[in-house]
Amino acid sequence: MTSSIVITGLGIASPAGEGPKPLFDAMVAGDTFFDEASTNGRSSRPWAMATVDPSDTPWPSGAPWDKTKKYANTAAQAAVYTALQAIGVAGPATAAEADRCGTVMAVSSSGADDLGDIIPQLAAMALTDPRSLAKLLYDEVPDYSYIRGIPSQLGQFVSMANGFRGSNVAVYGEAGANGLGALALACRLIDSGELDRVMVVGVAPAMSVTSLVALDREDPLARTAETGRGPFDAGRAGALLGQGAAALVLESEHLAAARGIAPLAILRACEAFAATDREEALDHAVRAVLSAPGSEAQAWWAHASGSVAVDQQEWQVVQRHLRVPATSSKGTMGNALECGALVDIAMAVEALARQTVPPVGLLAEPDAALDGLDAVRGTPRSMPDLDAVLVTSLNHGRSAATAGAAVIAKGANS
Amino acid sequence: MNESTAKEIVISGMGVVTPIGSSIGAFWDANLRGRSGLRLEDRMDLSALPCGWVAGLVPEDAKQAVRDRWQVPGRSWGDCLMLDAVEQALDDAGLSEPLTGPAGLIWARVWPGPTGSDPKDYENHMKSLGARYSQVGNSPAAVAEYLADKDLPLETVDLSTFPSDIAARLGTSLIATRLEATCAGGLRAIAEGARLLRMGKVECVVVSASVSRNTPYVLSQYGQLMALSRWREPAEQASMPFDKRRSGMVINESAGALVLETADHARRRGVEQVHAVVQGWGLAVGTGHMTAPNVDAVEHVMRTAIRRAGIDVDEVDTVNSHGTSTRLNDLTESRAMHKVFGSRMPDLPVSAVKSLTGHGSAASGIIETAVSALTLCNGVIPPVVTCTEPDPACAVRTSLTPVEQPVDTVLKNSFGFGGQYAAMVFGRPDNPRLTPRPIQAAA
Repeated sequence: MTSSIVITGLGIASPAGEGPKPLFDAMVAGDTFFDEASTNGRSSRPWAMATVDPSDTPWPSGAPWDKTKKYANTAAQAAVYTALQAIGVAGPATAAEADRCGTVMAVSSSGADDLGDIIPQLAAMALTDPRSLAKLLYDEVPDYSYIRGIPSQLGQFVSMANGFRGSNVAVYGEAGANGLGALALACRLIDSGELDRVMVVGVAPAMSVTSLVALDREDPLARTAETGRGPFDAGRAGALLGQGAAALVLESEHLAAARGIAPLAILRACEAFAATDREEALDHAVRAVLSAPGSEAQAWWAHASGSVAVDQQEWQVVQRHLRVPATSSKGTMGNALECGALVDIAMAVEALARQTVPPVGLLAEPDAALDGLDAVRGTPRSMPDLDAVLVTSLNHGRSAATAGAAVIAKGANS
Repeated sequence: MNESTAKEIVISGMGVVTPIGSSIGAFWDANLRGRSGLRLEDRMDLSALPCGWVAGLVPEDAKQAVRDRWQVPGRSWGDCLMLDAVEQALDDAGLSEPLTGPAGLIWARVWPGPTGSDPKDYENHMKSLGARYSQVGNSPAAVAEYLADKDLPLETVDLSTFPSDIAARLGTSLIATRLEATCAGGLRAIAEGARLLRMGKVECVVVSASVSRNTPYVLSQYGQLMALSRWREPAEQASMPFDKRRSGMVINESAGALVLETADHARRRGVEQVHAVVQGWGLAVGTGHMTAPNVDAVEHVMRTAIRRAGIDVDEVDTVNSHGTSTRLNDLTESRAMHKVFGSRMPDLPVSAVKSLTGHGSAASGIIETAVSALTLCNGVIPPVVTCTEPDPACAVRTSLTPVEQPVDTVLKNSFGFGGQYAAMVFGRPDNPRLTPRPIQAAA
């Protein structure tokens, strides 16, 4: 980066509640949020999951929100909910600033909502209905269906919330690195001089069962979430999944100062790479961010989802570059996929502010194969000299070969 | 940002798979001849719909050739289309040796749930889904158990090895971005690719997009939105941008790919002739409506692109329009052009590639950029052969025959649902790459 980019606004919707503080407090206390049905094997789905109740992220009321409500699925609700939190911290764009402020979304279109129930019902109806399939769908599919399925549509809603008019784009999928791909693009928008301020919003809503089955086939998902099944644990048995949303406002340091905004943290560097294999991609990303000026990290916020294979690959790569105390949020709220790394960025900001690295949830006995790993276990670790944190993230799945990394440093308001 | 003095970004390779040609040469030939790729879609019963009987589809022989080259188990049709276009572009750019530094990859692939080329595939998917629902309902646990020993339905296959495939092809790691900005996604992808190069982060960039959504679901949903053409026959006339009889767009399947690099990098590789220079762009998001375009926003991105290109409005020689053939888009775009170009409009040539290809969402932005580049290099503006009764409310200058004139600058527009607006200015390179002219093109 040619000039410092700072984080001036944060918003979180997680199983712990609104904002970054409840989630960080939960990590410090060793709380986890996986639904009880999963932990005792009576789940309505066979995988452990930390969920967010959509009623906790309500759609705003009044103009212009009422007329657009039917086009907003649960992912859109969560996106707008966190965007409003973040803009409440960073401050809104004035009319004069709006064209130089933009939105980058990290969200896919595979969320489950009422359409996930309706389409199978219509498919069954079509088996006997005399209408042609096209006519049946024309008559019966709700008229909001197509609009709801567009990833960047959520960005238009977020643009309504933040008043940013510069541009809106969704960055996601196999090169998304759980939000770090979006964050890296946002940095480029600022560094290149195209925009002054960018809001990055990631959302991981409830997923369809078919999507979950697909993820499980790519790399096994955890079926239970209990102590001894957490990230880096010798007994881990699959990636823990979660839901959530996160919004970050980025801007150049001097413009934030000109607005009189004290940065929450400095984003020293962020990159996401794809390669022919996962380890090569992560190696490129970690090397790139740690070589940026001022990126000497004293702690590592790992992706560490609980995947047997990926946790090991992640450590094998990171240890080449950095050996510092490590933690992960996945044992607390699971991997919230498209926004997972954005949640971790928010947690790193909290860690810098509190000079504390919380323990890895559900970690009991570190995997001996992760030789040399210093995973924070049991109680939080005080780190009075904590100045910067490395955050890493990897796409889920056997065939995914994308990874991202970022370095977050203390800001004036840390 | 002063883009006019920043690094010069050139398009050094292009590839397309479209209803009117699956090579740049054949595609350009069809553009100049005004040969349509639209045909009646008679493989699904659309008789009770008020629209959507016509589609722009890749011909069967071309599709088979793509399948033969790229189809392997687990690879989606959208990825096959993109890989074919990318390989053409890499060949065209002469990029056969592994790169020594990281490259960029920016791509857009329409999400898979409603996609497909043969409507039978979607119908079979719905039959499977119907059988599943009849048997186990929607209970998550029951559905998961039901799927345990089955191939997964197509709506789940959204993640692919496409970036790894390109990394292997180029022999290097990638700063890779899959993006989505509805129908402005193609130009957005080019802008993000050019940005990577201007920032010096990569050696070259591959930009690509594909779309294939010829399914009852997509037609029914666009039909609900009243966005599809209601013209029935002749099919070739169904997409008629700026014609007073236009009634909606025609969806297509297509893919496009470009290789971008700095002019210096191209020269160092020994590449003397390139297709176009990316001079500047304008991007914006509007929040006034979810589907309807806005005149002021279109004007804004066009003016921004022109200003960032470091040129004057009067230096734009032609506009390669978004031109979807919907009542509202064409009227909005033309009103914005009148605001930007004023008294020049009666003499400003405007082209509209979708008149021949139909609308390919994000892929259109890349395919139509290829046309813009060919226009610059060859000094020919393609005709809009379906605009035989120009709409006086639009009052744009289209031509029924190719217009031969020197073209130094093309302004390209793309807009989309969700308030997406993009415009880009392309310039004629110092040493343009000529494409062989079809024998009868000037007739």
